[in-house]
Amino acid sequence: MIRQLDIDGVPTLLAPTAGPMRAGLTFRVGIADETLARSGITHLLEHLALAPLGLTDHHFNGATTPTFTSFYTQGSEQDVVQFLAAVCRNLHDLPMSRLEVEKEILRTERSSRGVGPLDALPLWRHGARDHGLTSYAELGLPALTEHDLRHWAARWFTRENAVFWIAGNQVPAGLRLALPPGVRQPLPRMSSALPHTPAYFVNGARAVVLDAVVRRRTAAGVFAGLLERELFRSLRQEDGLSYTVTAGYQPCGDRASLHALADALPEKQDAVLGGFIDVLAKLRVGRIEQADLDATVARREEILSEVEVHAARLPGLARDVLTGHPTSTVDELRAELKAVTPADLHQVAQEVTATALLMVPEGNTADWAGFTAAPTASSHIIAGTEYREREGDSVLHVGVEGVSQLVPGAVATVRYAECAALLAWPDGARRLIGYDGITVHIEPTLIDLHPAAVGVIDQQVPADRRVPMPPRPPERIPQPYVGAGGHPSVGWPQQVTPPPAARSWWEIPLMVLSGLAALGVGGFTLLLTLAMLFPDEPDPDDGFLWGMVVAGWLLTVILALPIVLLRRRRRR
Amino acid sequence: MPVHLPAVDADPAAAFPEVNAMRAALAARDWLGVRQLLDPRDWAWRSLLVNAVDDVDGVDQFLRQVLARQPDDTVAATMLAAYLVGAGWKIRTAQRAEYVSREQFDRFHEHLRQAEQLLIDVCAREPGNVLAWQERLNTARGLGLGQAEARRRYDRLARYAPHQLSAQSTLLQQLCPKWGGTWEAAFAFARERALAAPEGAQNAVLLADAHFERFCSLDSDGERAAYAQDPRVVHDIWTAAQRSVLHPGFRHEPGWVATRSVFAYWFGLIGQWAAAAAQFAALGHLASEYPWSYLDGTATLDQFRIEAYAKGGQR
Repeated sequence: MIRQLDIDGVPTLLAPTAGPMRAGLTFRVGIADETLARSGITHLLEHLALAPLGLTDHHFNGATTPTFTSFYTQGSEQDVVQFLAAVCRNLHDLPMSRLEVEKEILRTERSSRGVGPLDALPLWRHGARDHGLTSYAELGLPALTEHDLRHWAARWFTRENAVFWIAGNQVPAGLRLALPPGVRQPLPRMSSALPHTPAYFVNGARAVVLDAVVRRRTAAGVFAGLLERELFRSLRQEDGLSYTVTAGYQPCGDRASLHALADALPEKQDAVLGGFIDVLAKLRVGRIEQADLDATVARREEILSEVEVHAARLPGLARDVLTGHPTSTVDELRAELKAVTPADLHQVAQEVTATALLMVPEGNTADWAGFTAAPTASSHIIAGTEYREREGDSVLHVGVEGVSQLVPGAVATVRYAECAALLAWPDGARRLIGYDGITVHIEPTLIDLHPAAVGVIDQQVPADRRVPMPPRPPERIPQPYVGAGGHPSVGWPQQVTPPPAARSWWEIPLMVLSGLAALGVGGFTLLLTLAMLFPDEPDPDDGFLWGMVVAGWLLTVILALPIVLLRRRRRR
Repeated sequence: MPVHLPAVDADPAAAFPEVNAMRAALAARDWLGVRQLLDPRDWAWRSLLVNAVDDVDGVDQFLRQVLARQPDDTVAATMLAAYLVGAGWKIRTAQRAEYVSREQFDRFHEHLRQAEQLLIDVCAREPGNVLAWQERLNTARGLGLGQAEARRRYDRLARYAPHQLSAQSTLLQQLCPKWGGTWEAAFAFARERALAAPEGAQNAVLLADAHFERFCSLDSDGERAAYAQDPRVVHDIWTAAQRSVLHPGFRHEPGWVATRSVFAYWFGLIGQWAAAAAQFAALGHLASEYPWSYLDGTATLDQFRIEAYAKGGQR
């Protein structure tokens, strides 16, 4: 059974375990509480709090998720006491000498972790704020100061905003949780970047992924198990199209997010998508067998019957206490599981369909199945001063409200007031990322930009959105006329990428005209030259005609010059 | 030489009077009558009846009314979807893509998307609804959903109806290069399904169909003549015919008019006029749109009939 205690004002949950003592201190703060321009601050703080522990013999770890930050340990009573004392102390007396080193470590962590198939979903659903921020790199890291970190720690890492859990027979003697007072923080809001659901977006990952947001309830957890079972049966057992098929359910407060994934061979991706959509439809129309429900419930009951169930539930219960969600006992959960009916699952299925965001592999769509394409461009164009790209058809509008980048067939607009981050390079390049995830990237070397235009942008975007970027080596700064490499590759899914530089309309006519003129004059001069070299009869006006020959050849060269210049320009 | 040839009738009702009963029930807005015609019959029959009714005025409105009253009536949903697929394809026309306008494509796709969403629901409710899966082969092809997805749909259908010829013909289209497939895939499928069906069944016509597709894809008369002379092609046509139209077990089931017509055409192409004449004699005044719609309609049909009776008819 689980006992509820209080240690230094921090709510504490205690459950017995047969194994070594484990403990966790969880705070109601995470990536979704940050802003894009200062993102990474929670993760950095978590690293700094653990940094002084260095190499120890017992196991410990930290984890920063969208809405929670936790510190875990496992070891002897003495280890646990020392670990928690150190974490609480370090959180409010940060080892600032480690600041730059930990920033580097975080950058390495990010780059070595790679990008998983699920990583893009939050951005498409929520945009570049709150729950969408997990899709982005930790952009705020370089600019974060000691002051920022202290301020962040004082606001979020407080005893009112923490819950402690411990798996063991009793609270070890001398365990203290010395945290400053504060307030319990509510969950961050959940922004939406999707005007319509069900929606879909295209991603290069070789998998079909579903994301849905539902009301938290036992039936929704069972539904995730059922969905996995149906996907496995249909896509793997029956059709042999997928190898990995998973579904998951993550409750948070009174809502829960639901995910499902099915991988696919390159040549089978369209069939996996079709099969996936059919499985969803089967559940949506309510064709749910009692036997499948029973099998799914049985698996969950097995988990509840494990000896260590109470200890295993502690981290989840700690999160429930932090979000004010009522906690239930194992017996209550068992009773809820038994009460789930196919009709309950049918209701969840309809909720899943209504809120669905589907990630489909490259080369596919899901509009045919009733999913709306998630926005990849803006619908509004900002009026402002127009700047043309030197090579190509892109036009940049810099206005008093925001900026728009127009490429043939698409617009990307970021309003200053809705700018999540302004990335600023010392060489003048700027990238504006809107709350909706739409990005405008400006390379001054590629646009005929008035020097003051960048200043206008810098002034209009609120200062706390500015992300100073490190200097780029000259070879990384794009130059005009560099062909395919002219545009820096930008890794944002919703970046509107300008097409490669196109030939200007006047180039071909000019080359033709120049060619014809050169041919005409050149031909005449050639005839004249031949006539002069092999005269039928001597001519007294020889000198004048030789002058004509020289002038003719000169004129030919001048007339042919545009062809040569235009061709060389295209080749560069 | 025959004195006169009977005028041909390409109305499916000429071979199957039940089609007229279906038309009458729909025209009378008699849903019970429609269900009484469809429900006792097998999938081949239902396919024939459902696809023969898109010329009834206002049939789509009627089906929508039925659906409004009974949203889970999968028969009405499938019929409406089949109607939308047919109407969509009429907008697209059978022209090659470069001769179809952007606006035509948009309307075509809109029809198919509507049909597809009805059919997703039908297949979700009734995974064994062969007719719905068959129509989903048409929507998959028109919407460009991909080779693997088309194959998945066919495989789902085949669990319930492994010898459904109309579905096999639809998938064969998808497997041809003009719809993103390969000749290898098309012929492999045609041969496999031809052999899998019982002797005397129509399914061997798939092999003749595959050769017909390949024959039509050739650019010049010379190439086509050479193809029709190729001993391997001739062998395939005879083998397929012996397994189907020339087999004593061959029955006049839905699709038989087109099946005999394909063999009549092929026998003519390979110069076997007596065999062609036998098929035309079995057809009598009956005709089908396919395969003649690929050629130039009745002109080629007339020419082949006249030639068959002249060179191969009973003297």
